[in-house]
Amino acid sequence: MKLLTHNMLTSHVRGVRPGGGFPLRIQATEVKVNNVDFNQEFVARMIPKVEWGALVEAAESLGHLSDLPHELPPEYENNEDFLRKVHHVLLEVEVMEGILKCPDSGREFPITKGIPNMLLSEEET
Amino acid sequence: ESDDSIGCDRSQNLVDICGEKKFQAFVCDALSVPVRNSSCDACISIAVIHHFSTAERRLAAVHELARLLKPGGKALIYVWAMEQEYNKQKSKYLKEKRASKGKEEEINTDIAWGLFCDQMHDDSQDSACSDRVLNDSKDKGGNAKQGINSKLPVHTNRTSFRSQDVLVPWHLKGGTNKKGECVKALQLPASSKELQEFSPVFHRYYHVFCEGELEAACKSLDCVRIQKSYYDQGNWCVVLEKQ
Repeated sequence: MKLLTHNMLTSHVRGVRPGGGFPLRIQATEVKVNNVDFNQEFVARMIPKVEWGALVEAAESLGHLSDLPHELPPEYENNEDFLRKVHHVLLEVEVMEGILKCPDSGREFPITKGIPNMLLSEEET
Repeated sequence: ESDDSIGCDRSQNLVDICGEKKFQAFVCDALSVPVRNSSCDACISIAVIHHFSTAERRLAAVHELARLLKPGGKALIYVWAMEQEYNKQKSKYLKEKRASKGKEEEINTDIAWGLFCDQMHDDSQDSACSDRVLNDSKDKGGNAKQGINSKLPVHTNRTSFRSQDVLVPWHLKGGTNKKGECVKALQLPASSKELQEFSPVFHRYYHVFCEGELEAACKSLDCVRIQKSYYDQGNWCVVLEKQ
């Protein structure tokens, strides 16, 4: 699970307050770092689509924040240095084993071989 | 290869295969996708909705897709058509020869370009009606709705559909290492009796759609507009736009 993917996922347990299931807290037991080709235009395009705060929080929780800013800098589109840092956290850091935890209900979703299992039981839907 | 697509499926084993191929994917139920409202630019649902067993659940699946889309976002839906012959043209599914030895795909992909089944030898078994669905649910303490004594016909692969609600056989072949949703068959000497025991057949439920049926379901939703509606190689297809 890359952090770009994590940014899309939310808890959908019944009874969770609206918005209360996002972002899921990551407890990783195995993190992999890959080398992914840098595509500046792609990264710049992705930034407005992600929840920036959730991305920073997730990167920080994995110890991969390095010097990525908590706030989006103005005019980042041509800031290659900044975009390379975003590229790294979005696409190169991958949680292979661990847990995603709903911030509201505490419900845990396992991540195995990089795959989150978000299935709920009958009672939870 | 810049890729912001994410896949999901109900089957852990199938999603694991996506992971092995380095795609991003997760396991979930299509009726309850763990993604926030209005967060996707586009969604595709290929050969999924025809597995839901009631009109209500099929509609719920379309509704869930719509929920994920941002306004202006698009969804593409493909479902298997009842009409496997259309405009006098047979679909590839009907035309596909059984005798194609060599690289036989184990997993049935009933996508636009047809279904690849490995063993099609015993069609006589396939065409029998099956009590299995009823019996299974009786044993498991039952589904309260099974008051009616209805049987689901078992479809004969590569023939036209005789009814909309069918069980389609899936033969899991032994000896290869493709994952399925079941125990792998063992590699055995070619004694037919033993081979038969270890070549399980699974019956997968399908509701095949009639012309206009998918459209009608989508039309009943106010949140989407049908941008395109068409037939493609034995499938009914729609492109929806979120309003």
